[in-house]
Amino acid sequence: MPRVRTYLIAAGAASLAVVARRALRGRVQESPLWPMPALEEPISGQRRSSGTTRVLVSGRSEPAEGVVQLHLEAMDAGDLPPWEPGAHLDLVLPSGLVRQYSLCGDPADRASYTVATRLITEETGGRGGSLEVHEQIHEGSELEVRGPRNRFALVESASYVFVAGGIGITPLLPMLRAAEAAGAEWRLLYGGRSRATMPFLEEVEKLGVSSERVRIVAEDEDGLPDLGALWADVPQGTAVYACGPEGLLGAVEGSLPEHCSLHVERFAPGANAGGSGAFEVELRRSGEVVRVAADQSVLAALKPVVPNVSYSCEQGFCGTCQQRVIEGEIDHRDELLTDSERDDSLLICVSRAAGERLVLDL
Amino acid sequence: MSNTQQGPAPVASEWTPLKARNVSFDWADTPLHWLPGQPFATHTINVLHLLLPAGERWFVHVYKQALPLITDDRLRRDVVGFIGQEAMHSQAHDDVLPHLKAQGLDPTPYTAQVDWLFEKLLGDRTLPPGKPRKWWLIERIAIIAAIEHYTAFLGDWILNADELDRRGADPTMLDLLRWHGAEEVEHRSVAFELFQHVDGGYARRARTWATAFTALVFLWQRGSRFFMENDPSLGGTGRARVSDFVRDGRRGLLPSTGAMVKSIPRYLSRSYHPSQEGSTAQAVAYLASSPAALAAEARTSGGS
Repeated sequence: MPRVRTYLIAAGAASLAVVARRALRGRVQESPLWPMPALEEPISGQRRSSGTTRVLVSGRSEPAEGVVQLHLEAMDAGDLPPWEPGAHLDLVLPSGLVRQYSLCGDPADRASYTVATRLITEETGGRGGSLEVHEQIHEGSELEVRGPRNRFALVESASYVFVAGGIGITPLLPMLRAAEAAGAEWRLLYGGRSRATMPFLEEVEKLGVSSERVRIVAEDEDGLPDLGALWADVPQGTAVYACGPEGLLGAVEGSLPEHCSLHVERFAPGANAGGSGAFEVELRRSGEVVRVAADQSVLAALKPVVPNVSYSCEQGFCGTCQQRVIEGEIDHRDELLTDSERDDSLLICVSRAAGERLVLDL
Repeated sequence: MSNTQQGPAPVASEWTPLKARNVSFDWADTPLHWLPGQPFATHTINVLHLLLPAGERWFVHVYKQALPLITDDRLRRDVVGFIGQEAMHSQAHDDVLPHLKAQGLDPTPYTAQVDWLFEKLLGDRTLPPGKPRKWWLIERIAIIAAIEHYTAFLGDWILNADELDRRGADPTMLDLLRWHGAEEVEHRSVAFELFQHVDGGYARRARTWATAFTALVFLWQRGSRFFMENDPSLGGTGRARVSDFVRDGRRGLLPSTGAMVKSIPRYLSRSYHPSQEGSTAQAVAYLASSPAALAAEARTSGGS
């Protein structure tokens, strides 16, 4: 009978459709984009954000006139990322400004960070960062920080000379403690406008005034510091660490004895933009060697040689200009790359060579 | 807006210089249903977070290879700006994913497959150098131009979706979507102009449009379904139906079905140019008041 046959075919087709639908539903539940496979090592959503940590301002004090010191604690349980003397932290301020401040607490304290900042008003060349810290950050404020990172690392040495001008004492403070703990020979010249404006005097004096390692020179009482005396009988191979205003750094550079190595940290402007010395970049694939001038980015130096080199933001956040590094120490100045990416690549728009030479896979 | 132009001529006044903005968003206070009481609309828009991290990373990857093909300096500058904006879109949406996971909605099963789509299926295939490689590059440039027609459409929609404000949408999520949407409107002509510059063939435009459109419908439908079925607050009973989409489109919580259908012949018109739709002035005005874009501006304006 044709009618029966029609019913049978229709029933068969309907049950097939139900089975197929059920099978598809099962598969899609297991694999949302079935029949596509998944990438074995997923990329999206797996990125560890570039060392961003949320912290709580657990203490705020004024260790000297015009200086604010902040204690920062992690918002969630667990240790904060480790650091070593000379390291700095990027503070993301409520307005979005990002400013670098040296860590001046104890590296062994994994539960909190300490930073100190001097108020620099607009009239004296400030650009709003320290003003914001002074006026808008209070105990209980929440902040985002990045880092720590170290561009001013303490090299191992049997003997150190430290020179601090004003708030420049902050990165040196953990260095003094480390040098003292290591039993190294060290001395410190700490200059400032007046004793009232110089932070951490008490701690510094405790460390070494009795042993005459520390000389404190307040301009209003003692006049300008005499650098000549500082260099008297410094041993061969002394490592000199200086942080302070440009004038002081210039004077240190100018009078540095030949057998000493100098490490300076400037108060910026543009600590993360400007250069700090020329170096060479070798392009391994083409064999070309490009000189990067002190005031030039690697990107700017490469553009004429590699016209189609990729880049976009030119400020170290979009990641387009990332290049693989084959050899050479990198001075990372971006805010994007993860630690593992930093091992063998850099963003050529902002980052530089830490040494004399970089070899790129280009 | 003008649809009366003959030939794909850009509307000159719609051009604006492009630059990436260093935005960041804090998701700590954003609820799972950031559009209160509207899981379907929330999740349908959330599909963006599933597709864009891998998708826009792929745009950047393809466009880096396209740079040597560009012989026009202004177009090159536009493409350079476009690349940075897309890279930031990818990063910004990527940052939402861990937040979804923390709220009990792990997106990884879906995003791992989207990763495969863009990294493998649409990645650099093992092709002999010369013509085949160039063909595959241009094919992908054409696909991106078609997708950008829809990102510009969605960007224009989100900038004008006042209903989301009225319904109390989470301000951080709205700012992410509108910052992104505004930049899509800002740079809406770049992908099309690049395609015109390197090829511009109508057959390829139509073919890649069909591919991109089919893929987008497939990905979106599966994405809404994935979120609805796995949303812990819906207890596994959530469903995504076409009727939900049509309904929320009528209410203004999603783009309307009618507007989406009408956008198809526009891209396929021989006189199409992206500058004919959307408003650069509106996009720029939003970016001038977006909390994320303002913070980005402040962040990039100085050192220490």
